[in-house]
Amino acid sequence: MTASEIPVRASAPREFLSAVGTIMVKELRSRMRGRRAFVVLTVYLAILALIAYGAYVVIVPNAQAQGGFGGPVNASAMVGQAIFILLSVFQLLLVCFIAPAFTAGAVSLEREKQTLDLLISTPMRPGAIIVGKLLAALAFVFLMILAAVPLSALVLLYGGAEAEDIVRQQVVLLATAVGLGAIGLFFSALIKRTQAATVLTYITMLALTVGTILLFVFWSALIVRGNEEAGRFGGNDRAPEWLVYPNPVIAMTDVMAETEAESFGGMTQILAQIRGVELGFDGGGAAIDCAPGMPCQEPGPGQPDVGFNNTVVGHFWPRVSMTLAGAAVLLTLVSMRLIVPVGMRFVFRRRRTSAAADADGGIVDSPLPAGEPPTEANAEEPPA
Amino acid sequence: MTPVIEIRGLVKRYDDQLAVAGIDLTVGPGEIYGLVGPNGAGKTTTMKILATLLAPTAGEALVCGIPVTEDPIEVRRRIGYMPDFYGVYDDLRVWEYLDFFARCYGVPARRRVGMVDELLGIVGLSDKRNAYVEALSRGMRQRLCLAHTLVHDPALLILDEPASGLDPRARVEMREILRELRGMGKTILVSSHILPELAEMCTAVGIIDRGRLLRSGRIADIERSLRANALLRIDVVGDAAAAAEWLGTRSGVADVLPVDGAPAGIARIEATYDGDPDAQAALLRDMIAAGHVISGFTQAASDLEEIFLKVTGRDDEEEAA
Repeated sequence: MTASEIPVRASAPREFLSAVGTIMVKELRSRMRGRRAFVVLTVYLAILALIAYGAYVVIVPNAQAQGGFGGPVNASAMVGQAIFILLSVFQLLLVCFIAPAFTAGAVSLEREKQTLDLLISTPMRPGAIIVGKLLAALAFVFLMILAAVPLSALVLLYGGAEAEDIVRQQVVLLATAVGLGAIGLFFSALIKRTQAATVLTYITMLALTVGTILLFVFWSALIVRGNEEAGRFGGNDRAPEWLVYPNPVIAMTDVMAETEAESFGGMTQILAQIRGVELGFDGGGAAIDCAPGMPCQEPGPGQPDVGFNNTVVGHFWPRVSMTLAGAAVLLTLVSMRLIVPVGMRFVFRRRRTSAAADADGGIVDSPLPAGEPPTEANAEEPPA
Repeated sequence: MTPVIEIRGLVKRYDDQLAVAGIDLTVGPGEIYGLVGPNGAGKTTTMKILATLLAPTAGEALVCGIPVTEDPIEVRRRIGYMPDFYGVYDDLRVWEYLDFFARCYGVPARRRVGMVDELLGIVGLSDKRNAYVEALSRGMRQRLCLAHTLVHDPALLILDEPASGLDPRARVEMREILRELRGMGKTILVSSHILPELAEMCTAVGIIDRGRLLRSGRIADIERSLRANALLRIDVVGDAAAAAEWLGTRSGVADVLPVDGAPAGIARIEATYDGDPDAQAALLRDMIAAGHVISGFTQAASDLEEIFLKVTGRDDEEEAA
C-alpha cells in the first residue's frame, strides 16, 4: 500500500455518530435485557393511571357541586385540570429522581469495574462516549415520559387543559431529564465513586428544586429588612428572578398556571410573587371572565391588556427549559474533558500526522486486513 | 523499517514518585518483547503511556512512528491493549462483548459477524459464544480480553501481565495463543514479574526495576553477560558420591553439590563449569568413559529467577557504591 492509498475513513460527524450509536446499543442492551425495564415501565404507568383515576373520583363530586357556576362544562374542566396538575407534579417528581439515578453511575461504574481503560483506549472520541452514555441513560427516561403522554391526553376529553399545555409539560419534563441527567453524568465523570457521585447529584437536584426557592425567599427577606432599616417601606424590591431559572419546579408551576384561568389562581400568585408583579384587575377585568376550558375574553379595543397574563404565566417555563438545556450542554463538554487522560490533548487531531501516513505506507499493517480494498472502509458512506 | 515501538528517554513522575526514570527501548516488527520486573517497577506505567492512557512527564514514545501524545487516536487504531486489571460488562454475552469493541474500533457491520467467530476460535471460546461474560472463568475472561485486543487487527499488542492469576493449564493455553499471534506477524509487548514465563516465548526481554531498564536484549545474551560459568545439572544412576568426587578432580569444575529433586534411584549433582558447550560435551564423554552412569546432563541455564535477582540486585550494589 502506498501513502496515496491511505484508507479513507468516514467523515468526522459520521464517525462521531457511529460511536455514539455503539455506546447506546451496548448500554441499552444491558439495560433493556430481561424483565426489569418492562416491569419498571408498567408499574410507572400503572401508578400514573391510578393517580389520574383517583383525581377523577375525588374531583367529580366536588366539581358537580360547584358546577352551578359554569354548568357541566366547567365541572368537566375542573376534572381535567386536576388530572393534568397531578400528572404533571408526579411525573416531574419522578424525573427528578430517576434521571440522575441513571446517569450518576455512567462513568464512575466503569471506573469502579475497571472497564473504563478498555473503553478509553479505543479510538472513539471522548465526546462520543459521554454523549452516548447520556443519551442511553436518557432514552429510558424519555421512554417513560413519552409513554405517559396518552394519560395526559385524557385531559383533552375533559377540557381544563389543552394540547399546548401537554406540549409545554413535555418540554419541561424532557428539559429536566436532560439537565439533571447531565448533572449526574458530570459528577460521575468527576468523582471516582458512584456512591459519592449519586449523593452529590441528588444534593444538587434538591438545591435546584428547593434550594433556589429558599434562597430567593431569604434573599428577598434580607432586602426588605435592609430597606426597612433604611427607612423605606412598602417597596417591591426582591431577589433577582433569575435565581429560579434553573428550577424545574418553577417551570412546571408555570405550565400548570397556564391552566388556571382565574387571576388569583394559586400558582399564578406564586409566580407573580417571584416576578414582583401585582396581580389585579389593572387590565379592566377581562381575566375574571375566564373559566377553565373556556377561551378568555380578549380585551376590547382601547383596553389595556391584562398585566399578569402576559408577564407572569408563560414567562418561566421557556427560560427554565433553556437554562437546563444550556447547563446540560456545558456539563457534557466538561465531562468529556474529565475522561481524557490527564496531560493528553483534549482535541485529538483529526488529520493524520505525516508519520502516520508514512507508517501506513511502510511496514505496518493497515487497520484493514490484506485483500480488502482500502476504500471498503468507507462502504457505509453514501455514494457522493 | 520503522520500529513498532520507539521509546526515548521516557520519564513519568507521579506526585512525588518517579515511576519511570528514563527508559529507551526499541521493538521491531514481529518481535515479542517481554518486560520483566518486580511489582511497581514501571512496567504498567510504560505500557499505559504506549496505550495513550497516560501522558509522559518527559521523553518520547512512538508507536509505528506516531508520537503517542501527538495523535493518540491514530496510535489507538494500531494497538490492542490488555490492562493488568480490568473488568467485564455484566449483562453482555461473549459475542456481544466482542461485537461492541469491534464497533468501537469502527469495524463495518458485515465484517463483524465472521470476525467475532474467528477471534473466538483463536482464543478457544467458540463454545462460549452465547454465554454471559460474567459467567466465564478467570482464564476464559483473560482470553476474551485478549480477543478484544484483536478486533481491529492491530500491528502491536500491549499485554500487561496476561498470565497473572491463571492456573498452570491456563498459562500454557495463554502461551500457545501468544505463539499463534506471533505466527500471525503481530508485534507483542508483554509484561510479567516472572522471567521464566516470558523467556520461553519472547524474542527479547527487558529487565526493568524502579523505573530503569537494567538489561535489554535476547535472553541468552543477557544470561551470558551475567554468568561466566555454566551451572551443570547431572543426574547420576548408582554411586553419586564417586561421581561427585570424580568431578571435583576435573579442572574448571567447582562447587560440586548434591541437590534434591531427582526421581527415586537417581542422584542429582550440580556443579559450575567454566567451559563452552564443546567443553561440556567433552566433560560428559569423559565422565561416561570413567564408568559413571549418567541419565541426565543439562545446563541449568534457565534459572532465570537467579538472573533476575542478580540483575536487580547488582543495581542495588552499584547504587550503594
